[in-house]
Amino acid sequence: MARTKLKLPKPARTPDKLSTVAQLRKVARIGDAIGSATQALLKPTRSLGFPYRKPTAPKGVEVPAEPSKLGADFDTDFARKAPAKALRKIVTQGPVRALVRALADPEVVGLDRLADLERMDDPPAVIFAPNHHSHLDTGVMIVAVPEPWKSKLVVAAAADYFFDSRVKGTIAALALNAFPIDREVTGRKSSDELRRLLDTGWSLVIYPEGGRSPDGWGQDFKGGAAYLSNRTGAPIVPVFIDGTGSIFGKGMNKPKAGKSKVVFGAPLWPSDDENTRRYNARIEAAVTALGDEALTDFWTSRRRAAAGTNPKLTGPEYNGWRRQWALAEHRRLGKAGQRRRQKRRWPDLG
Amino acid sequence: MSRLVYSRKPGKFAIARLAGAVKPGAGAHVGPLALQSDEPLALPTPEWVRLRPRLAGICGSDLALVDGTASAYFDPLVSYPFTPGHEVVADVVDADGSPGRRVVVVPVLSCVTRGISPECPACAAGQINLCERVAYGHLAAGLQTGFCADTGGGWSHEMVAHPSQLVDVPDDFSDEAAVLIEPTACAVHAAKRFTGAQTVIIGAGTLGLLTLAAITATPRRKKNSGPIIVTARYPEQRRLAKELAADVVCTTDEMPRLVRSRTGSLVVGDQLTSGAPTVIDCVGSSDSISQALRVVAPGGCVHMVGMPGNVSVELTSLWHRETSISGCYAYTHADFATAIEVIRRHDLGRLVSATYPLADYTEAIAIAAAAGRRGAVKIAFDMRGKH
Amino acid sequence: MARPGFVLEVDKSTPPLLFWRGEGFSLEKLPAGRSRVIYPPEPLEAIKDVDGAILEALLNPIDSEPLPALLFPGMKLTIAFDDVSLPLPKMERPDNRQRVIEAVLDLAAAAGVDDVHLIAALGLHRRMHEYELRHALGDRIYDAFHGRGQLYQHDAEDLDNLEVVGTTDQGEVLEINKRAAESDLLVYVNINSVAMDGGWKSVCTGLASYRSLSHHHNPTTLENTKSLMGHRDHSALHQSVWRLGKVLRDSGPRIFQIETTLNTDMFPSPFDFINKREWEWTAKDRAIYLGTTKSLKRTPIKMARKIFHGMQGPHRMTSVQAGETSAVHEVTLQHVYRQQLVEVQGQTDILTMGIPFVCPYNPDGVMNPVLVMCMGLGYLFNMYRNKPLVREGGVIIMTHPTYKDFNPVHHPSYIDFYEQVLADTTNPAEMSRKWEQQFAEDEWYRHLYRTGNAYHGVHPFYAWYWGAHGLQHAGKVIIVGGEPAVVRRLGFTPASTMDDAFEIASDVVGRHPTISHMHVPALLVADVK
Repeated sequence: MARTKLKLPKPARTPDKLSTVAQLRKVARIGDAIGSATQALLKPTRSLGFPYRKPTAPKGVEVPAEPSKLGADFDTDFARKAPAKALRKIVTQGPVRALVRALADPEVVGLDRLADLERMDDPPAVIFAPNHHSHLDTGVMIVAVPEPWKSKLVVAAAADYFFDSRVKGTIAALALNAFPIDREVTGRKSSDELRRLLDTGWSLVIYPEGGRSPDGWGQDFKGGAAYLSNRTGAPIVPVFIDGTGSIFGKGMNKPKAGKSKVVFGAPLWPSDDENTRRYNARIEAAVTALGDEALTDFWTSRRRAAAGTNPKLTGPEYNGWRRQWALAEHRRLGKAGQRRRQKRRWPDLG
Repeated sequence: MSRLVYSRKPGKFAIARLAGAVKPGAGAHVGPLALQSDEPLALPTPEWVRLRPRLAGICGSDLALVDGTASAYFDPLVSYPFTPGHEVVADVVDADGSPGRRVVVVPVLSCVTRGISPECPACAAGQINLCERVAYGHLAAGLQTGFCADTGGGWSHEMVAHPSQLVDVPDDFSDEAAVLIEPTACAVHAAKRFTGAQTVIIGAGTLGLLTLAAITATPRRKKNSGPIIVTARYPEQRRLAKELAADVVCTTDEMPRLVRSRTGSLVVGDQLTSGAPTVIDCVGSSDSISQALRVVAPGGCVHMVGMPGNVSVELTSLWHRETSISGCYAYTHADFATAIEVIRRHDLGRLVSATYPLADYTEAIAIAAAAGRRGAVKIAFDMRGKH
Repeated sequence: MARPGFVLEVDKSTPPLLFWRGEGFSLEKLPAGRSRVIYPPEPLEAIKDVDGAILEALLNPIDSEPLPALLFPGMKLTIAFDDVSLPLPKMERPDNRQRVIEAVLDLAAAAGVDDVHLIAALGLHRRMHEYELRHALGDRIYDAFHGRGQLYQHDAEDLDNLEVVGTTDQGEVLEINKRAAESDLLVYVNINSVAMDGGWKSVCTGLASYRSLSHHHNPTTLENTKSLMGHRDHSALHQSVWRLGKVLRDSGPRIFQIETTLNTDMFPSPFDFINKREWEWTAKDRAIYLGTTKSLKRTPIKMARKIFHGMQGPHRMTSVQAGETSAVHEVTLQHVYRQQLVEVQGQTDILTMGIPFVCPYNPDGVMNPVLVMCMGLGYLFNMYRNKPLVREGGVIIMTHPTYKDFNPVHHPSYIDFYEQVLADTTNPAEMSRKWEQQFAEDEWYRHLYRTGNAYHGVHPFYAWYWGAHGLQHAGKVIIVGGEPAVVRRLGFTPASTMDDAFEIASDVVGRHPTISHMHVPALLVADVK
């Protein structure tokens, strides 16, 4: 018998790291299998009917609507209790971190700008205000935000997207410590709740754009973060996230692993002689300057910031193909341009 | 008439090599060297005379024999069994058996001593160290007295020598000073390679110190511009090297840095780009030759005064920098005359650190093998007492 | 509230005192009744809003127009900054230099300045490694300027890029970096660890050529420098530097000096016991002391060095001032003294000091024997005002392992200095005469200084001259715990224990000498009355 050399797969550098997309797919397949198994288990109850199932209503009777517990009214307090915190720590340190590293490989810079806050005797709760291109941004932020804020971090998530079902909402609240907010109207309730969170020492991640970018360029900042900061006195840390848009942007069916970069900016403090609108503009300018810094360098960005000529995150004024064309140029400068070359796949012709 | 005899016993030779590797000098216990009582040697021709050694030095090449590390190259150049000892001061025994002249032996067994006539071209030119007939003639093979079965050697109470081999010892010389004449002649011969330019002497054992002494005693030294740098391992050696007027004395690992600094050289890898024009290697190991090649100037020369044996050396730099390695063996009759002057000038008799009777030869050899570490330089056998 | 420094009279119940011994410590008992220990003041309160304080200093400078008024489009702006020799240990990021330079750059950007160069003012020190530049300046500045070729290190041997500014009335030539000399504005960003630094010394040594430096870095000047940390009038070095500074002010570029001071909170936990007073050590401190000293003894020296040099000090900025150089420096000195000054009555026969693993010339390197001398006699001995802590002819006792070990990358000329020069003489004047030129002009050292990370060939001489006054002042110098052969090569006396050292010292100072111990490393300047 010919001796064949036994080829062992190279061990991954860290055991918990899901390093390839193929592995991720495997995980997804396992998930599917578990899902169908539960379905099969639940099937018998379907034939049993009431009282095993929800009663059907007789005609002519008006069933009073139960008050909605979904959307912005989703109660996430449980997610900030000790057991949930412990669970979340495991989840974010393990799978979330592994997933983010595998997909987005974030390079984090600018943490030194937070040093003064961090070294205060009692570091204050802060509002992180990143630009928003992808669902991955939340994961990236959870991984990138340093202690002492990391362990007390709440992510403001779109109520209509994340909290439209109990299961989804519970998972979002547990795993990401998500908190529902209305993206269109900053409802009284949401904002009161958020203030309460800040006052009790929870830091927030708020995407001032209100939602993921539809076309790869940024959107105008909404005033929510500025308003909260103004009301609570909590400083805002502008953050620029580069690269996630081309990894898992809006409209992509499946993620395409790549690289990303997170740039933290110097904290901004509300000042008495500044209204929310101007404060918001200052925040947007700060994130814009960070975006410039991420794609060029600090000095270029500072000079353009001084002249007010940092390239706008919202992209060029014109529309149509030229806008997309400019986006490609823009991405080439950033982390998306440094993407590892994908393995070329040839069609299998049998 | 007792003498130490070295016989050709391959088994013992191998054991000596092992023992010597463990502890230098240990080969004397277990090796092919032994103390014997023998009948006196026959005179090869009536011309020859009998000598009664007074002192006989232990040389580095003798130690290599004892420890079995001598190169196989010598095997056809010696004849067994022989009595070692070529650094000899002795009394000439007159026909009536009474001691007469006090002499040192020029050990090289050249054409004259072998009865070869006409002499080979080298001997004819007075360069007996280059004699082409050292294994021929009426004597058994042997490049020097002390390696030849027919002549005996200094490590004994009696030996024979050809009159041409005898050099009279000045009356003001002690036996200790006289026993150093032969090695000093060697050093004088080596010192002829000194050009006056910067010179590095590697090693400050007997040979290194004597070479230094020979150089500093030469008139050329006075107009020289380049300093003489000596590497010495042990404190006593450093002290003596300073006394013998070395300009700089350093340890082995300091030497390349020192030469670099003194020559203002740059460094590529661990090779100096410039360096010392003359390097005199009085050690002869792979390490010392490699180090010498690292510090020798382009076009310069490494002179091997210490016996190298079978070494492994990277020679690319020799090729690239057109440096050379040249051998430096023994002496001529003229060198003996100079040697006497050098010894007188530097009072070198003090380099004989200790003497032992033949009976204590294992101890003597052990001390000689560790001379530097023990603060000693030259160890000799003393036959002046009882026979 | 930080407690001021004080002098402790050692009595029978005083615990043994902490001494540095290179990469380790020891506790030594000092004789009761005639010993005193000088404890430095505790770390001062740091500035809360550092960036605000920096901006305030730049906008309201001392004896100068505000920085924005000095900036205009099209100008040549050069920012020079102190090198890796301070602070020690390196401070936690962000470094003062990064903060100040970022603030300056922000103002420059607002003024539309394009031509900005950043120069590490390292004089004859070694070039900084990339990681050191990144640490001092931050990644943002490094990435923005280094790639453009606008961030580089001063080269005192680059003849094409040096320019003579002028000559003092004493014939001292001021020759500095050409780019700096030709700038419309030269901003110097400094960290003032000790009173000796800063002021005109910043530019006149940091950006000077070898020729210019040798006017004041020589044995004669340094033997006559009787007060490095105190009054300028008693320091020949500072007088020379201030003369050069006058030339610089009159004929050089416009200078905007920014000086910062740090508090002495130097050691991160768990090493913070180093800064504490021994009788206040908690059980935890004692456990850590025992644990670290015991394990350090078993740690290979290279790893111990890695641990110590990897330490980042939590020291923080206590002041920042900007404007005209000498006026700024006067304010800086007040802040330095506020942190470091301790009033002491009279001199003693013996001065003891523990020598740590680092001095200004071996960050991330090896504390070689020459630097031990420099640290003891050059730095610590000189930490006084008015007069030295030890009387003239008294004995200085240091503790340090003093191994014969060098970093060949950083200190190539130190090795040759130790092997050749010190083997010949330990006298500063004599070595200057016989050897200095050869080392200063050695092509190989010059190459390593200019392209590698080596100190200049002449630097070991300067390190030695630094101790010239101490050498002259002390009747005897003893190193406890050093390798005897090495200590003797330095011209000092080895002792195995502190008691032996006192025994040896008794030849010079008798059987009942008075003793002062400087409780370093937290820096202190003894104001000896």
